Amino acid sequence: MSTLVIKDLHVEVGEKEILKGIDLTINTGEVHAIMGPNGNGKSTLLSAIMGHPKYQVTQGSIELDGEDVLSMSVDERSRAGLFLGMQYPQEIPGVTNSDFLKAAMNARLEKPISLFKFIRTLDKNIEELNMDENLAHRYLNEGFSGGEKKRNEILQMKLLQPKMALLDEIDSGLDVDALRVVSDAINSMRSNDFACVMVSHYERLFELVKPTHVHVLVSGQIVMSGGYELVEKIDREGYEWIKELGFELNQEEERKPIILENCGKKETVRHE
Amino acid sequence: MSNYAFNSSFYCVIHNGKCQESHLPDHIYFQDGVLICENKEPIEIQLIYLLDKNQSMNIDIYVKKNVEVNMIETKQLEGGACLHKTMYLENHAIVHVFSENNCHNLENVEVQEDVYLYDNALCQCGYAELSDGSYKGIYHYYLDGEGADAKVRMAILSKEKERKHYEVLIQHNRPHTYGQMDNYGVVKDAGRLTIDGIGTITKGQHGSASHQTNKIMVFDSECLASANPYLYIDEYDVKASHAAGVGKMDEEHLYYLQSRGLTKKQAMQLITYGYLKPVIEVIDNEMLKAHFEDVLSKVGA
Repeated sequence: MSTLVIKDLHVEVGEKEILKGIDLTINTGEVHAIMGPNGNGKSTLLSAIMGHPKYQVTQGSIELDGEDVLSMSVDERSRAGLFLGMQYPQEIPGVTNSDFLKAAMNARLEKPISLFKFIRTLDKNIEELNMDENLAHRYLNEGFSGGEKKRNEILQMKLLQPKMALLDEIDSGLDVDALRVVSDAINSMRSNDFACVMVSHYERLFELVKPTHVHVLVSGQIVMSGGYELVEKIDREGYEWIKELGFELNQEEERKPIILENCGKKETVRHE
Repeated sequence: MSNYAFNSSFYCVIHNGKCQESHLPDHIYFQDGVLICENKEPIEIQLIYLLDKNQSMNIDIYVKKNVEVNMIETKQLEGGACLHKTMYLENHAIVHVFSENNCHNLENVEVQEDVYLYDNALCQCGYAELSDGSYKGIYHYYLDGEGADAKVRMAILSKEKERKHYEVLIQHNRPHTYGQMDNYGVVKDAGRLTIDGIGTITKGQHGSASHQTNKIMVFDSECLASANPYLYIDEYDVKASHAAGVGKMDEEHLYYLQSRGLTKKQAMQLITYGYLKPVIEVIDNEMLKAHFEDVLSKVGA
């Protein structure tokens, strides 16, 4: 069994403090869901665990089985068993998926994988995830649709077999069928040697991949933890009730461009 | 000097203007600095240019009507050498060239290429410019027939104290012609690199399109790089685009690869290879691909 222990984690981006003391313990065998309104630090938490250079840890600790994660480089964290399925996977022209995946698999093997075994493993997973057969020869995420990129993240997770997978809005951009394929893939990884932390806004993902633990992250702190009933409550009531508990919400509304269509609709509504 | 390798079953080695050894198929001839291609079926040949110190030579290549040929070129020129190649593509000729610059020179080497394309001729050229030493390359393409189509792709490495300068011109002299160039470079150590990409559409050449991308990735603080796009357009009904950029490797790309367990060095290498590798795609030759991967290790990263 492996354990990831996060204690009093404070993280800054630029000069701004985003995480203000996070405590979280994740054991293999568990599936954690982190929910919360936009702009409250969910993605920051996952990126800080993975070691994105933009996020500065100013206080606190992260340990994986007693090893200090914060002193590890990004690639060392990966090889130690952490995996981040990203919200916006990078497109890298010129680098083929197969070259990249082989390099990533070999990075954690003492002896490089044989070409035959690699192709067999890759083809099997591509089929299971219902992905493009030509994927291996295409450039990494270049020209991929949103859904293809997310499936490619899951493909990598399956090939790399991490101990702890952090999945940042892995369901965004997926249609109903793709969501089922992806959640089946996550469920197939569930075991006593695997833990998963999922960030999502939608109950649908958590319905398909039932979390064992649910946390609500608001203003850089975990304000409540519980079981699946929290997912249902948020789906029903939103986050307004958090305020009643005395917590302030960091409401970062997404600014949408005003287009003629919107104005037109508003006008119609008013006349009615 | 002669550390070239044959990647093709048909070849011609030209040393200081003279044929040193050759094995050419029927309907392809070399004599007095002139190569003529009249082959009926598509064929692949390798041309190896050798020049001793301070020597110069002219090579003329004629690709006849409807002829289809793949060329693998290897340039091995010593210091102070100067090569001038002229190639004519007659109507409907199709030529793919992979040109490997394999020079190891102390003094500057200069190469000028002039390629003339007539009606509906098509030329795709990939230049692997990973030579050791300073270099000046002037590669000019003239679209002199309607429907002519030229695509040029470059992969350049300038390292140590090398100074490299490339001028790539595609000039549209007839209507409905298509030109595209993608010039990619990597500069390391105290290397210098200038890329001038020039797209010219002369008056009256309506329905033509001229596109270019010039990108240079710099690794070290002493690198000097400039990517200059030029578009000279003297006609209204045309399409044209240009892009140019000089910069460091994308940090987000590095982070993404590292987050999958690749060390920073491995990640940089994969990105750099990916940046330069598409140049090989002009010709489908496995042996050549393997050879090019070997040569790429020079990039290090």
